[in-house]
Amino acid sequence: MLNAINSVIIDGMSFTLPLFIMAIGGIYSERSGITNLALEGLQGMGAFVGALVAYILGQQLGGDSRVPFYMAMLFAMLGGCVYSMLHAFLCIRLKANQVISGVVVNILAMALTSFLTKAINRTAFGAPSDKFDLGVSDRFTVPGISKIPILGAFFTKVYPFEVIIIIAAVIAWYFLYRTRFGLRLRACGDNPAAVDAAGGDVAKTRFIAVMVSGALSGLAGMCFAYSISAKFSSDIYMGYGYLAIAGYIFGNWEILPSLFACLIFGFARSAGSEIVLAAGLPTAYSDLIMILPYALTLVLLIFFSKHNAAPHALGEIYDKAKR
Amino acid sequence: MNQRSKNFLKVAVISVLLSLLAGAVVILILGKNPLSAYYNLLQGCGLAPKAKYGGSQSQLTDLSSYIDYWTPMIFAALSCAFAMKAGLFNIGISGQMLTAGFIATITVGYAENLPGPVAKILVVLIGAAAGMGVGALIGFLKYKFNINEVVSSIMLNYIAKYIISFFIQMYFIDPVSRQSRNITDAARLTFHQVDVGGYKYDLPIGFILALIATFVVKFVMDKTVYGYDIKAVGLNRTAAKYAGIRVGRGIVSSMAISGLLAGIAGVTYYLGYFSSIQPKVLISTGFDAIAVCLLGNSEPVGILVASFLIEIISKGSAYMSSQAGLESEIASVVTGLILLASACNAYFLGRMQRRQDRKHPALLSAAVATSADSGGSAQVKNSPEAGKGKKV
Repeated sequence: MLNAINSVIIDGMSFTLPLFIMAIGGIYSERSGITNLALEGLQGMGAFVGALVAYILGQQLGGDSRVPFYMAMLFAMLGGCVYSMLHAFLCIRLKANQVISGVVVNILAMALTSFLTKAINRTAFGAPSDKFDLGVSDRFTVPGISKIPILGAFFTKVYPFEVIIIIAAVIAWYFLYRTRFGLRLRACGDNPAAVDAAGGDVAKTRFIAVMVSGALSGLAGMCFAYSISAKFSSDIYMGYGYLAIAGYIFGNWEILPSLFACLIFGFARSAGSEIVLAAGLPTAYSDLIMILPYALTLVLLIFFSKHNAAPHALGEIYDKAKR
Repeated sequence: MNQRSKNFLKVAVISVLLSLLAGAVVILILGKNPLSAYYNLLQGCGLAPKAKYGGSQSQLTDLSSYIDYWTPMIFAALSCAFAMKAGLFNIGISGQMLTAGFIATITVGYAENLPGPVAKILVVLIGAAAGMGVGALIGFLKYKFNINEVVSSIMLNYIAKYIISFFIQMYFIDPVSRQSRNITDAARLTFHQVDVGGYKYDLPIGFILALIATFVVKFVMDKTVYGYDIKAVGLNRTAAKYAGIRVGRGIVSSMAISGLLAGIAGVTYYLGYFSSIQPKVLISTGFDAIAVCLLGNSEPVGILVASFLIEIISKGSAYMSSQAGLESEIASVVTGLILLASACNAYFLGRMQRRQDRKHPALLSAAVATSADSGGSAQVKNSPEAGKGKKV
């Protein structure tokens, strides 16, 4: 029983944290006033770039090196960041419909990454394959604290990326709520005209916010590639980006409440698969478990959407002439 | 055709050409001949003759198979357009197609002893009802609980995908093909491999339905009070409410009709083009339908043309892949690029409008009236001079 609870916590945390960092990215973008349905595509593109770098470095450096892992994280953030500029450009400069732009960016990411994965594998590595194998990242256990019952599970078999995510989340929180830039960003989402009048640059702030969301989503995608999938392939598009969106809507566009939403998703998922395992049910039942986070999202949204207050100017194109 | 539609057509043609050009550059980089690759696309759809054909096959065989493949896309894109007119975005078309296809398969598809015509009519009705149910649910969640329809339909997509995969794997699996068991021929909406004069053809009934549906949707949109209400809700919800239009009814019913069309798309796909369902797969038709809808300006006739084009790329990619040795995914990249170009068409339309305004100041008053209803994408200018130097 204790073992089961421990593994629920361990698996739950390794799913929750990438989801959480992606939700923070979404919060940045949406608090600045840009609807971001592109998270799914951004995390996939980030994971693709990171996995490609890790794959190349892994071949050069051999299997034991830790360098590919950290470089993959870095390049995943870069890749997500650069790709997100497409969404930002469409929404801000070309004034496209932000919902459509987000969906388009997703579809293009799926098409591009699965095409490029195949094309690169065939031409550069000479082996027809639709994936980059990465393997599961190493894990570490903090000595001492991990012996505490139940609480210790939070320090057992931790992926290194979980630490990276927590650091990134704290920094992101500080910037959003405690700096002049964060204040301006949040104002852009509620009253862009006021920011403009105060001498701020709405377009630039929003552009940066979308790029931050791209970088954080890319990081999340890479984490999924190194844990759940153990590879990069089109399997990376499991809809976790949309789950993150549901997470921050449920969390009312604030960082800490969103963490709780993500925790619920993560633990629902890991508890479900633990139950299937413990009851010895056939593997087809794992499909039913896969539904849990999605169904839970819908049910929670039914209860919480009504009282939610989205940023006032969310999804609106800022037009100076209308001030 | 008024000036706005002409402009739109121009932008659409340019965006398709640019996307094909970008695809050609990629094919060149991979060291293949883009022209022959694109010609392969046409050959794969029976629109150009292949070098040689197998026994009892001809160019018309390929063409009939292409029309069979094209049919679900017409319904799916109409579904997307109907929601789009009401200002809603139905990204759950694939899930609605799957739900409708699955329910029709297990109810009518596996029923023995049903006469063909009855079974086929039942399949269409059940598919339409199933899709309508899912669509109405999304509309209801949007209206009643303020849940963004994009998020809820994506959640329903995944829920449908996994639940249906569970049931297929538990109860309806064919151990050899790893798909659901084949449906009876009576229930199938396509007369599969019909022998006419020594050649075999696939004759889809759904295609006739699709043409009818195209004109029914056009009629409802352009000529009825209901269509007017829906468009008013789509353009400005608050204004529609103050004009006495029941916004809630508009949202739920337009989403239900969108789901209905998606449901018929589902049965023409799973019980027409195919006769089984692959578990754990959500087909891309529902997403490509968005590209078709944007490219066709959400107009039924535009959709007919746009879907014809997009489906050539999609269907022909398999033949191109086998002939040119290119990854068939290049097709979805080109579709994605067309989608990308279509997403910014509002911007280019606005620019075009402004340039025309400068050239013909006399037309300006009319142009101001049309650009004012285009939802902020085109800027309203007071005089031709004002538009010149100002950059936004």
